Amino acid sequence: MSRLAYLTISVVLTFSSTAISVIADESILRDGKIGYVMTDLFWSVYQTPGGSEECPRGYNDGPREQFEKLFPAHEYLTVEETQLKQEIATWHPNTDPEEFEFFEVEGELSWGLNLDGEVDPNDFVHPDGSIGIDNEVYRAVGCIIGFRGPDGVEYIFQNKAIIDRVYNRMMIQLADVDSLENDESVTVNWFRGMDRLLTDATGQKAMSGGTQRIDRRWGESLIRQSTGKIEDGILTTDPIDELVIPWMNLSVPSVHIFRDARLQLNLSSEQATGLLAGYADVDTWYYQLIRNDSTHHLSNGQISGISLYKALRRLADAYPDADLGHNTAISTALDIKMTQVYVVDPLEENSE
Amino acid sequence: MYMALVSTGVFLNSHAAEIDSSTEAFLEIPRPAEFHVEITERDGPVFANSNGKTLYKWPLHKLRNGYSGEPPGTPMCYDEVVTVTAGFMSPYPPGIKLPEPEERLSCTELWPPVLAKDNAEEIGKWTVVERRDGSKQWAYDEQPLYTSVRDHFAGDVIGGSTKRYGGDSPAYRVPIGPPSQLPPGFAVRTTTVGRMLTSDKNESIYEFEGDTAAIINCIDACLNNWRPVVAPALARAQGEWDLLERSPGVRQWVYRGKPLYTHILDTKSWSQQGSDVPGWTNVFTQQAPSFPQSFTVQSSIAGDVLADVNGRTIYVYRCGEDSIDQLACDHPEDTQIYRLAMCGAGNPAKCLQHWPYLIAGANETSVNRSWRIITIDPKTGRLTSNEGEDSLRVWSYRDRPVYLFGGDSRPGDVNGGGTGEWRGQRNGLKAFWLRDDFMNGIL
Repeated sequence: MSRLAYLTISVVLTFSSTAISVIADESILRDGKIGYVMTDLFWSVYQTPGGSEECPRGYNDGPREQFEKLFPAHEYLTVEETQLKQEIATWHPNTDPEEFEFFEVEGELSWGLNLDGEVDPNDFVHPDGSIGIDNEVYRAVGCIIGFRGPDGVEYIFQNKAIIDRVYNRMMIQLADVDSLENDESVTVNWFRGMDRLLTDATGQKAMSGGTQRIDRRWGESLIRQSTGKIEDGILTTDPIDELVIPWMNLSVPSVHIFRDARLQLNLSSEQATGLLAGYADVDTWYYQLIRNDSTHHLSNGQISGISLYKALRRLADAYPDADLGHNTAISTALDIKMTQVYVVDPLEENSE
Repeated sequence: MYMALVSTGVFLNSHAAEIDSSTEAFLEIPRPAEFHVEITERDGPVFANSNGKTLYKWPLHKLRNGYSGEPPGTPMCYDEVVTVTAGFMSPYPPGIKLPEPEERLSCTELWPPVLAKDNAEEIGKWTVVERRDGSKQWAYDEQPLYTSVRDHFAGDVIGGSTKRYGGDSPAYRVPIGPPSQLPPGFAVRTTTVGRMLTSDKNESIYEFEGDTAAIINCIDACLNNWRPVVAPALARAQGEWDLLERSPGVRQWVYRGKPLYTHILDTKSWSQQGSDVPGWTNVFTQQAPSFPQSFTVQSSIAGDVLADVNGRTIYVYRCGEDSIDQLACDHPEDTQIYRLAMCGAGNPAKCLQHWPYLIAGANETSVNRSWRIITIDPKTGRLTSNEGEDSLRVWSYRDRPVYLFGGDSRPGDVNGGGTGEWRGQRNGLKAFWLRDDFMNGIL
């Protein structure tokens, strides 16, 4: 093949490929709609190697370490004085001071969004330089190894459950979309799907192009709607007052509740990646964790529920309750990955 | 000829109407004369001794840090009071003193061994094993046998259960019984809604109200979603089981006069999803015992739960000690130390606030052996015979009180499920699931 012929074919292929790509991007919209199903969900934790910047004093102890320090001579003690004492403190948590020092994140940087539109002294700075980042859950969990990637127990298993468990199958469907690049106003609908994910042969990598039926049987209470806009391929949604995310890890049906929940997602025809941010209801957050993960599981991530609850309550920064006299919600952000799916509504199917 | 072909390609089942469909049929197998079969409300047919007491085995069960239960042929339950924890369940170490040492009972005080006479004759799966003191004990399938002091009437299965239990549950005692009368390829599972008929791959079995043993109405497009359970060429009708030829050479299993199907769209084992399709129902060899009339069924985001008259979810408490003998602590005659710790941080008054008993109505009476009204002293959590102001008439399931959760505010809330140690499996509470599409809550 001559160099000219090679170049000619290459140019044609390149242009063809581009054309196909553009067509694919637009043709993925059906009646101005595109669906994405959640495949990954992690508590956003900004990490430096060894936690040197954010956790200069090290990582927190978990239940196993605390038990050994509290009861070095446990053989002389009773179940009530030891095991049940710790379980009571876990299941009936309080904000009383404890003898263990809790290591909060001390760095300035964090992933997340400016949720309240303000810049406060205890806000973080985004690694891109944005200021006013609200993410107090990160301040609480960032120095607990169970929440840190790539091998923290919560990091691995809570996320694995997003793929594995149909109960957790949340998805969004964008409607009134003219373009995935720029659109001043789109509608964002939240549903729960009811099908397994389309995956590759490993079963762990979700593939785009699957189908999800909307769960109209059990998931009606999870349906939400908001609005948003797309700028340069990034979807930003307006806050939803109360978004409920079902999140079952170890067979205990449970949820997280996010106030003022919003998305910031980088869109493509195949996936949507970015952040889910808002204010998490503190008690719901805590009990979702300990109902799914026993003290054994928490121990594997050095997660002391007793200490963590105190931190969550101490750092809670929104939705004060006048009767209770404290904030009931805490700012947070989650790394979220979604893959494109075709959303089928059984109600529409049945009406046809 | 036992079965006759008719022009529509269907077998007639002349004796189907004579069968008692309220209980589960079983296979008669050789057994010692001193034992017989009792039909139970929830667990199907079980073996019992001459007093009607259900026989239990204690199979080996893998826990986090070792095994508990009995290896085949080896009794491990003796008249010894265990006083310290075993450390089977991390993160807590072994050797911690167990509660209420003066009141603790030995394994055999709660689980009397089924002793065999010196001249006992082994037969079939029934054998005799020797205990440490030289006495003889009956075994079935090599598992030593016991009765439970919690069982009081013939057919009681209060001490243990055939319900499935997970890896972090205590090493439960399990009632033994004769094999269910099932053709090869079928299985039966005890669930909260009945003894569910499945394939041996745990696919739910369904029947269609439009079918009879003589008329098949699931044809053509119906077969896109429903797969007839096809019988092998050598299959034969027996008891409640028949066969019909839905097309030449293709025979379908029929149970109690209804042709059987699996649901192609089911997404999980032991599914009830097919029962959402009008006219289709899961098949049970035996329905679960009826619950009180004042109870309701509520939808949650995970399925249907049993609820009280106001729609509040009902919970059951489960408890097993971390001891070598894995004794239960979920019965009102067991220690209440664990339960009080979990429901109210050791404070009975807080327990009544966080996890109130389900109080029985003044005019309500016990429904059956599974759903009974019992009288509880709320200060101790124990049974009491005093029906005065200081006691509570409460609903119980299998003689254990059932509870509501103070954190549930709306019908369908299941905010208390999984509360307690090991996701509510060892010292905690689980919602009473009647339908679940997402976990194994009915099992």
